[in-house]
Amino acid sequence: MSGSLQDLSGLNRVIHEPARLMLVALLSSVESADFLFLLKESGLTKGNLSVHLSRLEEAGYLRMDKTFQGKVPHTEYSLTANGKTAFNEYRKKLDLLIRGHSRSTKL
Amino acid sequence: MNVQIDTALKRARGYWFIDGFTEMAAGGLFVILAGILFISGYVPQAPFSDWFLSLTSEIVVAKLIGILAAILLLWWLKDHFTYPRTGFVRAKRVTATQVLAILRNVILFLFLPILALLAVSLLIASVSNVLASMPAWFPVGLGLIWGGVYLLAGEWMGLHRFRLLAVMMVMTGIAIGVWQLTIGLPTFSSDTQLGNFQPIGLETINRTLLSLGFLILISGVILMISGLVTFLRYRKENPTPYAEES
Repeated sequence: MSGSLQDLSGLNRVIHEPARLMLVALLSSVESADFLFLLKESGLTKGNLSVHLSRLEEAGYLRMDKTFQGKVPHTEYSLTANGKTAFNEYRKKLDLLIRGHSRSTKL
Repeated sequence: MNVQIDTALKRARGYWFIDGFTEMAAGGLFVILAGILFISGYVPQAPFSDWFLSLTSEIVVAKLIGILAAILLLWWLKDHFTYPRTGFVRAKRVTATQVLAILRNVILFLFLPILALLAVSLLIASVSNVLASMPAWFPVGLGLIWGGVYLLAGEWMGLHRFRLLAVMMVMTGIAIGVWQLTIGLPTFSSDTQLGNFQPIGLETINRTLLSLGFLILISGVILMISGLVTFLRYRKENPTPYAEES
């Protein structure tokens, strides 16, 4: 296996999945966001979104805060410190991988 | 699914501006400030200090009340219109270090080149010439600063319309500067000193305030139109609050 392919296998698989990557990217630039925002921005179905959010929560990357606005439940999601670190590391690795690949194709 | 990380990051950052309310509020505030400048901004022959103090206090009070009212109005509008349609986002807390870094960058990228240009022009021309041409260069400089701020903000949040706003603000500043040059600038006598406001000096201040008033007014109207267009598009895309599917 070539170096860059080995690097590819080392990418964080929880974050690497496209839908979860989008959710983490959205949440990384805000303090928190609610379910509706993530639903609208990701274009996922409600069921799919719930599954991906649960997966991120299980991995310890996401925190869920449930509150009530009057009688209406309101859920906000935010990245945990682990989630932020994992996302930053993922971006660095991906960046290195892409740079390595462009160098090897130039040679 | 084509995931573009940067696009997702920018969309979340620019969410505050998705509905156009902020631009409309800022534009409205600009128009009010321009109104104050037009109504109270004409320097009487004497006493200058009283007039200056009065104008400054009016602007400060208008800004404080205006900004506070705009914030309350924006919270209410977003709470009742935007959040039920496209969701709620809590913006990232900005730390003191980040504020200092932003200020440093603004000074480095925007103010220093303009200050350098001003310093060079002072070296080339005399102080009186630079002061006399203030009605022309002041709106150009301010338009450039505002344009720069909008351009940087637009790039950071991925808001393409901010690029257009930046260009329009720069163009407005230049147009006002050219207009002031076309109608002719006041001239100073060689022995004019700073603080000695002779009629010719008062004319410079009046003309500069007029330039500033027009720049603020036109920029305000541009912001209001941009906000209105954004709001109409947002309302078309999200006509009703999100409802659970039955």
